[in-house]
Amino acid sequence: MTDALRFEWVRIRTLRSTYWLIALGLVITAGVALIIAIAQRDDAVDAQLATSVLTGGAEFATFIPIFMAIIGIFATGHEYRHGTIQPTLTAIPQRSRLLLAKIIVVAVTAVIVVALSVLINLVIGMIFWGEAPTLESPFTDAVVGYFVLVVLYAILGLALAQLFRGVPSALVVLLVTPLLVESLISGLSLVPALDWLQPALKFLPFSAGSRLLATQPYDPQGGPEFDYLDRWASGGVFAVFVAIILVIAWTLFKKRDA
Amino acid sequence: MITAQSLRKRYGDKVAVDDLSFEVQPGLVTGFLGPNGAGKSTTMRLMLDLDHGSGETLFDGRRFDTIRHPMREIGAVLEAKSFHPTRTARNHLRMLAAGSALPASRADEVLEFVGLTEVRNKKPSGFSLGMAQRLGLAQALLGDPSTLILDEPANGLDPHGIHWLRDVLKSLAAQGRTIFVSSHLLSEMSLMADELVVIGRGSMIYNGDVDGFVKRFTQSTVRVKTPDASEFVETLRGMGATVDTVPDGDLMVSGVDAPTIGDRAHDDGIRLHELATQTASLETAFISATGASEEYVAHEVNEETTNMLTEPSAADDTNRGGAA
Repeated sequence: MTDALRFEWVRIRTLRSTYWLIALGLVITAGVALIIAIAQRDDAVDAQLATSVLTGGAEFATFIPIFMAIIGIFATGHEYRHGTIQPTLTAIPQRSRLLLAKIIVVAVTAVIVVALSVLINLVIGMIFWGEAPTLESPFTDAVVGYFVLVVLYAILGLALAQLFRGVPSALVVLLVTPLLVESLISGLSLVPALDWLQPALKFLPFSAGSRLLATQPYDPQGGPEFDYLDRWASGGVFAVFVAIILVIAWTLFKKRDA
Repeated sequence: MITAQSLRKRYGDKVAVDDLSFEVQPGLVTGFLGPNGAGKSTTMRLMLDLDHGSGETLFDGRRFDTIRHPMREIGAVLEAKSFHPTRTARNHLRMLAAGSALPASRADEVLEFVGLTEVRNKKPSGFSLGMAQRLGLAQALLGDPSTLILDEPANGLDPHGIHWLRDVLKSLAAQGRTIFVSSHLLSEMSLMADELVVIGRGSMIYNGDVDGFVKRFTQSTVRVKTPDASEFVETLRGMGATVDTVPDGDLMVSGVDAPTIGDRAHDDGIRLHELATQTASLETAFISATGASEEYVAHEVNEETTNMLTEPSAADDTNRGGAA
């Protein structure tokens, strides 16, 4: 297992896109944090403001989750796109061990990047804030939820690319599902004859996952009216979705020809 | 030593590898020969557990998946360009070294050996096929393995490169390593290999030394020019020979050698104007050995497909008409 981890560690370090994606994610979220902090510099530092600044607005623009998911996609997708799966498997023929090593390295990378980003954004916030935000719920829960969300996104990307054995289709599913499919379903639930869809909305994985960052109860704002499960249960919905895809990808990886 | 037993692989109804068993001895270069599509790559993938099929391959008595650091015992390259285009040659090898608990310095050693030291920090996206093959060989040698499995390593090498590869493989074999190398070109193999495993359509055609292959599949024919052809044909057939008549009236005789034919002609009072032995080349031997099992033969380009190539829409209609 240590060999597989060392292999994965060198793999992720020797890929230029790793640095690009991390740098871009940190810079963009720091920029968003700066904008929010400036715009609300006269407001009291409540849970919502503190969460928005520290996560760089992840509640409405999931930059770091998506970028870490792309790092996950590259972890497995590149092996097939560039045919490196053959040398990889002749170095480490135990497929489960290899996949586990990929998950661990990608997840650890995601945790480090989120920690860095939160720290940078906290420094930016502190320029405008008189004192550090109070460490209490829901602010602390939302920050912990941010870590969980990014790790889940990263594993999802890895699992999707392993499932499709390539980069492009995994990217499409990752970007299109939340944007089009979930919006379509919640849009359809507003049609009177289709309002039976509304109870199912809380199980839409990406929407449920974003509740991990919530600091306030869900506000329909003219959208479909329903109640999400609580933060951790909603996160669980997203985690189950990720787990299902991972299990399918894992089983097929073991079964199929490389 | 590699022992492959009853390797078999099918894709749906199509049998890609059909009950192949062979041994690859240490100290020799064993060529794995067959036309394109014969199942060479699939066989190698089966041997390395990359593809799932039936049968078993043992490397010095052990299955591939039971070896702790396979790269240190078996060096394999199945595709010429299996590396990330922007990861440098050196980093590519360092990554594989890390996965096999080898020191990173090993990457520089093998790059030096294959002559890629100058480009070790360059992106391999700009590598020619020949350079990619050299990087592949470096990858195979990374763990200083006692067994090498190389799929078409000479593909894309210039004549100089092929000679270099031959010398490298010969000297590695001389160190007692087991070397299994595939090619679809007999001329390459006759330069490199001591032993041959020849397959066609997934089945074994020949397994033995190179000379034996040549003897077995290069049938010499005797060209006989005679004004008494019609008479002599019957005599020759009576002797058990196979006789073909070529358009200019000459007889192409196989199965009987030239002295026997000459003596018989003398005895029967047949006038001979020419008697010449023609030995088929090694390439001809290969074609005659694998020809019957060639996957994609030229005669598949028949009239119908030719029509479709020139007039797609018209041919479409004709085909439908024909089917109705």
